[in-house]
Amino acid sequence: MKKLTSTWAGLLLWVLGLLLVPLFADNNWIFIMSYFAIYAVVSLSQDVVLGRAGMYDMGHAVYFGIGAYTTAILNTQYGVPILWTLPIAVVVSALFGALLSAPIVKLRGDYLLVATIGFNEIFHMALVNDVGGITGGPDGIYGIEAPSLFGHQIMSQGGIFVLNWILLGIVLLLMNNLENSRLGRVFRYLKEDELAATTLGVNARYYKILAFALGAGIAGAAGTLFTSLLQSVSPGAFVFTESVTLFAIVIVGGQASIPGVLLGAVLMFVVPQVFRDLAEYRYFVFGLAMIVIMVLRPQGILPRRRRLE
Amino acid sequence: MEIFFQQLANGLTVGSIYALIALGYTMVYGILKLINFAHGDLAVLGAFIGLTVITSLTGAGAAPSHWVVILAFVVAVLVVAIAGVLLELTAYRPLRHAHRLSAVVSALGASMLLENGIMLIWSPQTLTFPEGILPSTNYVIGGVVLNSTQILIVAISFLLMLALYLYVNKTRFGTAIRASAIDQDAARLMGINVNRVIVSVFILGPALGAIGGLFIGIYYRQAVFDMGWIYGLNAFIAAIIGGIGNIPGAMLGGLLLGLFNSLAGGYISSTWQEAITFALLILILLVRPTGILGERVAEKV
Repeated sequence: MKKLTSTWAGLLLWVLGLLLVPLFADNNWIFIMSYFAIYAVVSLSQDVVLGRAGMYDMGHAVYFGIGAYTTAILNTQYGVPILWTLPIAVVVSALFGALLSAPIVKLRGDYLLVATIGFNEIFHMALVNDVGGITGGPDGIYGIEAPSLFGHQIMSQGGIFVLNWILLGIVLLLMNNLENSRLGRVFRYLKEDELAATTLGVNARYYKILAFALGAGIAGAAGTLFTSLLQSVSPGAFVFTESVTLFAIVIVGGQASIPGVLLGAVLMFVVPQVFRDLAEYRYFVFGLAMIVIMVLRPQGILPRRRRLE
Repeated sequence: MEIFFQQLANGLTVGSIYALIALGYTMVYGILKLINFAHGDLAVLGAFIGLTVITSLTGAGAAPSHWVVILAFVVAVLVVAIAGVLLELTAYRPLRHAHRLSAVVSALGASMLLENGIMLIWSPQTLTFPEGILPSTNYVIGGVVLNSTQILIVAISFLLMLALYLYVNKTRFGTAIRASAIDQDAARLMGINVNRVIVSVFILGPALGAIGGLFIGIYYRQAVFDMGWIYGLNAFIAAIIGGIGNIPGAMLGGLLLGLFNSLAGGYISSTWQEAITFALLILILLVRPTGILGERVAEKV
């Protein structure tokens, strides 16, 4: 019963956001909420790998970046409309998620973490060094079109907000289904006790790679919207620090807890946008907050409720 | 061939600095199974404190005297060791029995806090180290230029590592450190005060790190607040290459990584140097995840 009411509360909040933000907020706030929707999706995708499947992925910005660059390259080089690049970005990111994770999923916690940091660094260097002459080097790629729907370009901040908010809605729905599905339970078993899961016949390697591919694919979708929101991409948005922030969002908010991860995204991405004047103190305050929150609430601010099963 | 030996000399210098910093990672990981992400930033803190001592006690344009340099090292070591202990007491100890990732995030937070604290206190810009902190004479041996600063850095690093090795392997307290790394509960039952051992590790590691950080500043003659994570990561990779938790392994790993980076930067590509380092790391993790000399950590259940 309680589970049901919280789902309804979430749905109500989502609808209210969809209706109220474009109607009543000024452009600055609409931008911030669009930005939030994108990073909420990336954080939820990080949570699939880290919070649900229990793999210490500290290079998740890679998949976000692959999605963003896929869209940017397809749009500027081949003139593919933004929304058509979305499924391609999802597939490309998911493929990279599977390919990169395949050799490393066997590694134990901390080693996996270090390997994913390595991926993030190599990815960032590849972007900066303009691999294949398609990433635009340190400046990135400019002049990306606004998304268009039925031949009509979505130019207004409000329209872009609705688009991002819809993606967030779809991903929230996906997470809710994952929570109650067989796949979600397999991830949970693997996280809690891999040995036991394996003896029950779970192919650990397969499901771990699947978790990476799923998380990467969702992050790729967010990458497309990120590119269309800013109409440019540059390597700076996909550095190791971004991965650390995503990692921290999940742990600070609460692993495998949808409200927790959303709250974490608000703390790490919305709050700094509001206090932009204090930008130089941003990471100092973040650092302090991460220590204090962990010491006071090691399970995260809104930990996942233990269901009585 | 001259280029090869030149890169060898440079690699050895950088490698011994990595090794000094790697020791702090490996000792903490050996006992707490925690990657102390703030360790690289502690080393940078050492560089900035040392620089401040030197510049505030030396007139403009003059070369710093020996006593000022020694004082700079002593102050840097003391302050950074205190910072290390404070870190352990406030950010890590309360999470000793929490989920591992809580401590990881706390360590990441500590790293951000220190890095940006250094930026706010000193400067967001790159600071320059004055000339002549360590004697700087060039010796040319068979076409290879050896600088006395390089020789001093390598010699002091080796002495410090030797001292640490003897301390950990030949003294009573060193035995307690090794025992705590193998099995904390058993060590406690044998009457070892494990908390004291952990505090001592957070004194020794940051102290060596501070010296390493100051060496970086002196060798490259500059320091910037956010260099901690790249040197920290290199040092951590060195610790993994040697076998995490393994003290001689960290020394060997540091030297090998320094040589590897220097040769890769010189012969393959300098723009891709970091990526090559990480590729090496991933390769080692896949082929021999326990490092060259083998890890020395008990699996935490």
